[in-house]
Amino acid sequence: MSAVLAVTRREVRAAVRSSWLAGYAIIFTALALTLAFLGERNLGDVGFENFSRTTASLLNLCLLLAPLVALLLGSGAIAGERDRGTLTYLLAQPIDRWELLLGKYAGVSLAIGLATLLGFGAAGLWIALMTSSMAAGTYLLFVALVLLLILAMTGLGLIASVLSATRVQALGIALLVWAVAVLFFDLVLIGMVSATSLGGGGLLAALLLNPIEIARVLAIIHLEPDLQVLGPFGSYLLERLGTGGATAVLVAGLLAWIAAPVAVAAWLFEGGRD
Amino acid sequence: MDAPLVQVERVSRRYGARAVLDSVSFAAHEGEVLALLGANGAGKTTLLKCLLGVIAFEGDVRIAGLPVATRGKDARRLIGYVPQLPSLPEDDRCEEALAFVAELRGAPPREIDRVLETVQLGAQRRQRIGELSGGMRQRLATAAALLGDPRLLLLDEPTASLDAESRAEFEALLARLRGAGKTVLLSTHALDRLEGMVTRALVLHEGALAFDGTFAELTKRAGGRRYVININGHQPDAILRALGELGVGSDRVERAPTTWADVARAIAPRRDREQQP
Repeated sequence: MSAVLAVTRREVRAAVRSSWLAGYAIIFTALALTLAFLGERNLGDVGFENFSRTTASLLNLCLLLAPLVALLLGSGAIAGERDRGTLTYLLAQPIDRWELLLGKYAGVSLAIGLATLLGFGAAGLWIALMTSSMAAGTYLLFVALVLLLILAMTGLGLIASVLSATRVQALGIALLVWAVAVLFFDLVLIGMVSATSLGGGGLLAALLLNPIEIARVLAIIHLEPDLQVLGPFGSYLLERLGTGGATAVLVAGLLAWIAAPVAVAAWLFEGGRD
Repeated sequence: MDAPLVQVERVSRRYGARAVLDSVSFAAHEGEVLALLGANGAGKTTLLKCLLGVIAFEGDVRIAGLPVATRGKDARRLIGYVPQLPSLPEDDRCEEALAFVAELRGAPPREIDRVLETVQLGAQRRQRIGELSGGMRQRLATAAALLGDPRLLLLDEPTASLDAESRAEFEALLARLRGAGKTVLLSTHALDRLEGMVTRALVLHEGALAFDGTFAELTKRAGGRRYVININGHQPDAILRALGELGVGSDRVERAPTTWADVARAIAPRRDREQQP
């Protein structure tokens, strides 16, 4: 296990030195603060919003940006070493392939997670100081949700990384996955609902196919407990599963999206010996 | 005789229909320094990757009795590997890169000082790798390979990308390692500088082991010692005629373009030239 930790530390050190991660942290912090400040303006009074409103404003932004960064950095984990010609050197050390992969995954996830926490933490602290209305629990829950989503999407990026001969190829696959998950999935789902008699159960099953949608619905469940914002699907969730049951199903789905890609990437990487 | 440290039995490796290695077998004992020779594409690097167990292959490779196919991690603890191209992160300081490799190899941190002194890079300990010369980087890679005191060193064309001065420094380091009793397998396609450095030569030709013997046997089989004489500007026709009168026909004379290595040798300080064979 010490080999995994050594690779993890090395990845975090490399990520801290990379301009990518610093840029991501700065953008996240700036956007969190900007959204909080400008949100109140729409209501006619310029000032800082409380945590719940800020959380809602940040939801869509985070579900676009965090998966993109996780996919891109995850896709570079192995393909980047392969591109630089350093993968053989790493594998020539007393380390198993799965240990290298797990260390890379943990390092990249940890680095993105720390950058995310830095951005949200700074914004959260500032907002807490500027407003008397506190809903910090919801805010922290949302941050935790984004961290889980980062773990899932980094794993998907890792699969792209293992499958690709070059960094550019891995980036291409990662961008395609991001576009499908973020941009096209909703459209396909809407089309399916219109064209078929996809009920609440079918919709839930379809939703579990996309970790970003799982995170979105989980966030909404805890931001708007009456689930009215989800329409008939929300009613279905409440009637059939209740808030607790729906949360359990969706969290299980998200955890599966964290574990499965890492396992698949490890399996593919082991097979890549050929 | 002791059991061999390296045992290679009928190792083959194919890329599609093309055999890059074709049933290669040899053994190496503790303390031997072997040159793995062959033209570019002969299969040298592929064979080293098989020894490290980082690619799949047919046949059997054992390091100190450990099969690399199934116990690769344990076998690699016994192997230090120096790749042809620099593979340590340029942003790292020397000590950071070595600390990472030391952790992977289970070597205590105090070994970092020892290996840096061995390769004479103690003064560069806190320097970033990107600031080192090519020769220094290759010595640093050797320092990393020495962490954990491995019984076998695999060096993949370690001097291929070095200038004359760096190559000489690296060769001096290799001589010290040989003196320390390390077992070394050195891949190269430069035959001319190996005499006195290696105890045995293996020649790969199109993936097959074409020769396994001493360096003296190899040079004898290749038709004796070869000399390269630069006769630019010295009436080549007259010299070639004179050679012909001595019985050295044109079939034994080859015209070769001047390489950067030749230029470097020509402009090297006089003292260095005199040290060269």
